[in-house]
Amino acid sequence: MKRIILVGKPNCGKSLLFNQLTGLRQKVANFPGVTVELKSGQFKEFELVDFPGTYSLHTLSKDEEIAVVKLKEAMQQENTAVVVCVLDATRMERSLVFGLQVQALAKAHDKTVVFVLNMIDEVRRYGFDIDTTQLADELGSPVFALSAKTLIGLSEFQKALPEIARQPEQYRNEQSAIAPENALIVARELSKNHGVNADVVLKKQNRIDSFMLNNVFGGVAFLFIMFFLFQSIFTWATPLMDAVEFAIGELAVWVTGFTGEGMTTDFLSDAIFGGIGSFLVFVPQIMVLTLIIGVLEDSGYLARAALICHKPLSYFGLSGRSFIPYLSGHACAIPAIMAARTIESPRKRLFTMMTIPLMSCSARLPVYALLIAVLIPADATLMGIFNLQGVAFFGLYLFGIVTALLVSFFLHKFTHQHDEKSDMPFILELPTYRLPHWKPLMYRVVNSGLAFIKRAGPVIFWVSVVIWVLGYFPQHGGLENSYLGKIGHFIEPIFEPLGLDWRYGVAILMSFLAREVFVGALGTLFGIEGADENISGLAENIQADGLALGAGIGLLLFYVVALQCVATVAVLRAETGKARIAAGLVVAYGLLAYIIALLAANLIN
Amino acid sequence: MTLWEIPAKNSAQIDALSQALNPAVAARLSEMGFTPGQDVYCLRRSPLQGPLVVQLGDCVYSLERDVANQIHLAHAS
Ligand SMILES: Nc1nc2c(ncn2[C@@H]2O[C@H](COP(=O)(O)OP(=O)(O)O)[C@@H](O)[C@H]2O)c(=O)[nH]1
Repeated sequence: MKRIILVGKPNCGKSLLFNQLTGLRQKVANFPGVTVELKSGQFKEFELVDFPGTYSLHTLSKDEEIAVVKLKEAMQQENTAVVVCVLDATRMERSLVFGLQVQALAKAHDKTVVFVLNMIDEVRRYGFDIDTTQLADELGSPVFALSAKTLIGLSEFQKALPEIARQPEQYRNEQSAIAPENALIVARELSKNHGVNADVVLKKQNRIDSFMLNNVFGGVAFLFIMFFLFQSIFTWATPLMDAVEFAIGELAVWVTGFTGEGMTTDFLSDAIFGGIGSFLVFVPQIMVLTLIIGVLEDSGYLARAALICHKPLSYFGLSGRSFIPYLSGHACAIPAIMAARTIESPRKRLFTMMTIPLMSCSARLPVYALLIAVLIPADATLMGIFNLQGVAFFGLYLFGIVTALLVSFFLHKFTHQHDEKSDMPFILELPTYRLPHWKPLMYRVVNSGLAFIKRAGPVIFWVSVVIWVLGYFPQHGGLENSYLGKIGHFIEPIFEPLGLDWRYGVAILMSFLAREVFVGALGTLFGIEGADENISGLAENIQADGLALGAGIGLLLFYVVALQCVATVAVLRAETGKARIAAGLVVAYGLLAYIIALLAANLIN
Repeated sequence: MTLWEIPAKNSAQIDALSQALNPAVAARLSEMGFTPGQDVYCLRRSPLQGPLVVQLGDCVYSLERDVANQIHLAHAS
């Protein structure tokens, strides 16, 4: 199949154009080699491939580099017919600097370039227009003005593009490419003659910014938006998560109805539906998170958030762009680590990824809830105003964040920069505020769920099977006498100094599947069925059994710090490209967690 | 004088990029329009020496101190 490739700078509206041309039937394109996410879809008889947006072909970050290498490869391929370069018509000069680079590259590979001047609706709204015939003449390539949002000019483009792609040679002129050193001057000339007045276009944006970046109002708006984001992950996602849990439960009942009593049924209901189910419940939460972050990004606010956070985070060796991954980490570390890709400096990106697991993800929530219920009476207050249980929750979140910042600070202070390219300065373009369009958002939301399942699913599956086998065999005497129970007894000396017996050891081992499994495992060991729904019953049993305050607090802090999630470790390994880092973190956070728990168990009584 | 020293709501003209800049960063800055003779306008400065926001041609950029310090200005106006 002949291929059309789509390139453009970030925020030029490329995703929306791609969606308008291909509809919602798209897939992640399969290019051999490096894993850069290329979306592909069908447009008429062509394959349309969307390349990740890059600011320039002269790359700064690793991600840009991979994208540009891929682009160059695609240019060399026989079946690439046309390169569509999307430009932001409201920002002609900067767009053209990039456009001319793309044109030169295409010429070097005998490929035809077509320019799309997107956002023409905004240009017209400001009372300007662009003479595309004249501009096409000067550029020596076809030019189409259109709006991917209001659809002006889109149908003409949809008619013309296949014509061009069928006979691309006819749309290539013999003019030699503009030399790179002249591109800046040519772009300036062209935009002076054809572009729109920058002050008019930027007026609205600058006016909104005078609020959103204002020292007082901007700070309040920032806190408000982040609070809203935080709320959405926890409150709005909950019904969806419950629905998924319910559906999986029903499915389990239905399926095991066919298999009858026996090992198969136990395996299906515990390892498959139980294990995989405890991981699938996070999918809706991740999708809600992606939706809100997508809205913030497409509206242009995310760049402002990075700007606001940059200075405070830079004290800890982080970037303003580390903020969103940190925040996302409170839902789940896996999408958060992937979101760190946008961080410009490889060094800061690494520190961000390494410290994200310290954020209290939602899998830790049931563990916190259980142990807090054990340790603190529900009606206890702090200074008579604040509910002490609530304060404890907040304290645990804060403890994770502070630990992350400190770890990053020490990494920053005591590790060396390997080369110049490993730390890039903070340079940010502030895009225009725009109303997001639902189509690219939809795609992103669905894709985030699928990516999570694909990334974490296989690992979770195997961990789930292994833990089930260890907990199920040999088949007599329940969990206590299983292999897992034996391992628990065997490692009891490790947990004894923490004031914890073998049952906690087993529950901690089972948490490697997902931390919230801790609750169910303790439930089994303390003889409470369905402990997930009956936290207070289990809490009473544990209280009656006697858990020392220091040991309990130590266990809570252990859960904040220890890197127990196997799926997170797998993603860390993939995203950092180094198994050494992932393994090192498991050991380092494990030791740190152990020491903290040890101190707590012995100092608090 | 460097871009870092420009007060809010002031314009200036860029003189040169410092030789000390990492070449890749210098190239990116030129593509962004930080070239000799170009006018810049400082939209705002952030508290605590945070990144500053400038308008240059048809774009608004935010730069942190380490970069802004490497961009020399001809004269403020
Ligand atoms: N007014 C207007 N907005 C657009 C147009 N195309 C895209 N947008 C909006 O611009 C923002 C950035 O678009 P997006 O497709 O995410 O850009 P990308 O970063 O190039 O993929 C989104 O909020 C879009 O809804 C257009 O032609 N006109």
